[in-house]
Amino acid sequence: MTTLLAVENIQTYIGQFHILQGVTLEVEKGSITALLGRNGAGKTTTLKSIIGLTPPRSGRVVFSGREIQGFRSYDIASLGIGYVPEHRAIFRDLSVSENLKLAERKSNDFKNKAEFIFELFPDLRRLIRLPGNHLSGGQQQMLAIARALVPDNQLLLIDEPSEGLAPVLIEQLMHAIQQLSADTTILLVEQNFIVASQLAERYVIIEEGMSVKSGRMADLIEDKETIQQYLGAA
Amino acid sequence: MESLRRAFRNNQTLIITLAVLVFLYVIAIQGMSTRDWVITTLRGLAAGAVTFLVASGLSLIFGLMDVLNLAHGTLFMLGAYVGWSAFVRPDTFIDLLPVIMLIMIGFLLNPLWEKGVSRLQLPQLVGKIWPWVSLAAAALLLFYLLPLYPIARWDAAVYNDSPVTWTQNFTNGLISSLIEPAEFSQASPFRLILGLLVAGILAAVSLAGMRSLRRKVQIAGKLNLPWGRWILIAVLIVTSLILIFYNTPITNFLLNISTNWLFLFAIMVAILIGGAVGGLMEMSLIRPLYSRPIYQLMLTLGLGVIGTELVRALWGRSGFTMPRPALFEGSGEGCPATNLSGWLANNCSTLLINIAGEETRIRVYNEVFLILAGILVLVVVWALLRYTRLGMTIRAGVQDSEMVEALGINVRRVFTLVFALGAALAALGGVLSGPATGLSDLMGANLLLTALIALAIGGLTSFPGSALGALIVGLMQQFIIKYGQIGIPIPFTEITFKPTPPLVPASTVLLMIIILLVMPQGLLGRKE
Repeated sequence: MTTLLAVENIQTYIGQFHILQGVTLEVEKGSITALLGRNGAGKTTTLKSIIGLTPPRSGRVVFSGREIQGFRSYDIASLGIGYVPEHRAIFRDLSVSENLKLAERKSNDFKNKAEFIFELFPDLRRLIRLPGNHLSGGQQQMLAIARALVPDNQLLLIDEPSEGLAPVLIEQLMHAIQQLSADTTILLVEQNFIVASQLAERYVIIEEGMSVKSGRMADLIEDKETIQQYLGAA
Repeated sequence: MESLRRAFRNNQTLIITLAVLVFLYVIAIQGMSTRDWVITTLRGLAAGAVTFLVASGLSLIFGLMDVLNLAHGTLFMLGAYVGWSAFVRPDTFIDLLPVIMLIMIGFLLNPLWEKGVSRLQLPQLVGKIWPWVSLAAAALLLFYLLPLYPIARWDAAVYNDSPVTWTQNFTNGLISSLIEPAEFSQASPFRLILGLLVAGILAAVSLAGMRSLRRKVQIAGKLNLPWGRWILIAVLIVTSLILIFYNTPITNFLLNISTNWLFLFAIMVAILIGGAVGGLMEMSLIRPLYSRPIYQLMLTLGLGVIGTELVRALWGRSGFTMPRPALFEGSGEGCPATNLSGWLANNCSTLLINIAGEETRIRVYNEVFLILAGILVLVVVWALLRYTRLGMTIRAGVQDSEMVEALGINVRRVFTLVFALGAALAALGGVLSGPATGLSDLMGANLLLTALIALAIGGLTSFPGSALGALIVGLMQQFIIKYGQIGIPIPFTEITFKPTPPLVPASTVLLMIIILLVMPQGLLGRKE
C-alpha cells in the first residue's frame, strides 16, 4: 500500500483560535479512512486545512509525494482532490447539470462521467434540469458527491454525508460510497459511528485539535474502551 | 393553477409592492397630458437605462465579492471623459496607446520575473529595499521620458485649448485642420521605445519582488509562460511600432471617418479603459483587503475622490458637452422625421410623432437610443450570466465563493474579471450619457447615489433587481422633475404643489425607505 495523503503535525488557526494543535494522519491509496471524534474536535477544520480553505500555519501536507500546504485551494483541488463539504454547499441558483458542469476541469469531464454518475445516483438523471434549491436533503447530498466525481479526482474528502438524512437514504449513500472506493481514495468525516465502522478500513481519532489514535477499523470495533473514551458511544 | 397560486403566495409582498408601484404610476400619469407623460416616461426609461449600467456593475461586484465599490461613480465619470477624448481628440489616444502598450509588455512577462526573483538569495534588508529602488527608477525613467514623447494634449487652463473649445471645434468640423502631426523632435523614437520597455520591466520586476516578500512558499514547477502570452506580446510590440511610425496617417484616418464610427471607437475605448482601470484596481488595491471590509469601503471612497480630482486636473473643472454622432445629429430638410424611414434617410436629431392628437418632438439620442442601449446591455449581460461558464461561476460565487474555489476554479481571477466587467459597464454608461447630459465633475457622485438607491430598491445582489430598481428610480426622478414644472394640485384646496429640484433625489430616497420597510431585502433580493 502506498500513502496518497500524509498530514504531518499541522497547526491551524481560525482568526485567533488555535483549532488544530497537531494533527497527523495518513491515507493509503485505494482505502477509506474515517476521521472520528466528538463535535468540535477539529474534523471539519482538518479537511478544510487539507483543501486549503483554512491553510495550516505550520506542518506539512503531502499529496502524492508533493507538499501542498500553503497552496491556494484551487491549485490543491486541481491536483485531484475533490471536496464534499458539510451541509452539502451545492449552488442553489444553479441547476443540477450546471452544478455538475461547474466542477469540470476539462471541457468534456461531465459528458464522460455522466453515465457513471447516473448509475451511482439514478435520481439525479431525472432532476437534471431542476435548480439546486428544489432538491431534498438526500438529493443535495448525492449532488454534492456527484460534483466531486466529475473531474478525475484521486482523493475525495467527504464531510458528514449522513448528517440529517433518513436511514433509508443513509443506506443508499453508504452503498454508493462503497462502490466509489473501488477506484478512489476517500477520507471521510462521519459522526455516525455505525456508518463509519461499516465503510472505513482505517480510522483516525481527533480530540481537541490533536490526532490521538489511529489504526485499523476492525481493531477499533473490538476496542470498546477507546470508543467510549473518545467517541462517547458504545 | 395550483402552482400559480403557490407562486402568488410565495411572492405575495413582491406582487403587492409592484402593484402599488404600478398604481402610483397610473395616478402620476393622470395629472398630466398624454403627451407629457409619454415624454416623461421615455425620459425616465432613459435615465433608468444609464442608472442601470452603473447599478448592474455595483450589484455584480457586491454580489460576488461583498465589496461596495464607492468609486463606481468615478468610473462612470471616467468613462464619459475618456469617451469624450477618444471622440473629440482621437489623436491623443493614438499618441498614448503605444506608450501604454510598451509599458504593459514588462508586466506580461511577469512569470519570468517571479521565477527570477524567487531564485534570488539576498540578505533580508537588501531584499526589502531593492523593489522600492527599482520602482523609483521606473518612475524616474517615465518622468524623464514622457515629456520627450510627442503626446497631443489639451490645456484645461487656457480657454483656446480647453475641452470646451475643442468641443466647439469638433461641432464646427474644424478638428482635422487644427490637429498637428506628432513628431519625434526631442528624442529619437528608438530611445523612447527602449526607455518605455525598460521602465515597464523595472516596475514589473519591483512588484514581483514585493510579492515574493509576502509569499511563504516557493513557486514550484517550471516557468509558466503560455504561448498565448508570447503572441500577445508580439502583437503589442508590432501594434505599438505601427502606431508610432504611422501615427499621422492613422490619426488622419480617424479624423476623417464618419462620426458614427468614431463614436463606436469612443465607446470601445471607454469600455476598455474602464475595464482595465477596474481590473487593476481590484488586483492592486482591493485584493489585499478582502478580510477587512471597512477598510475596503474607505479605500473605494478615497479612490473615488482621487479619481474625481484626477479628472478635474486633466480636463478642468468646468463642464462641457459631448457632440452627438452624425446618426443622431441631422437637421434641416426632412427633419424632424415623422417616421422611421424618414429618420433613417436623414438621421434627424428629433422625431415628430403624434401623441393623442398633439405633435410631439422626441430627441432620438436622449429618449430612444439610450433606452435601446440599456436594453441591449441588459440582454447581453443576462445571457453572459445565464449561458457561459464565466456566468455560471459568477452565479455560483455569489452564493459561496469558497466552494467555487474548492472545486478548482481560480476565484481571484473571476473576481478581477467581474470587477473589470462592472467598471466597464459603468464606463459604458458614462460615455453613452455624455452626449445626452454633458460632462461635469459632479456627474459621478450624483449617479453613484442614484445607482446605490436603485441597488437597494432592487435587492443588493440581484442583477435583474438592479435593472428593476434603476427603472423605478429613473421614472420617479423624471416624474418629479415634470411635476416641478406643471405642479400637483392638492385636492380640496386651491394650492398647487411644485416639487423643487432638491426633492428629486429626496423622493427616490423616500421611495427606497418605504420599499425597504416593506421588503427589507429589496424587491428581488434573496431572503437571508
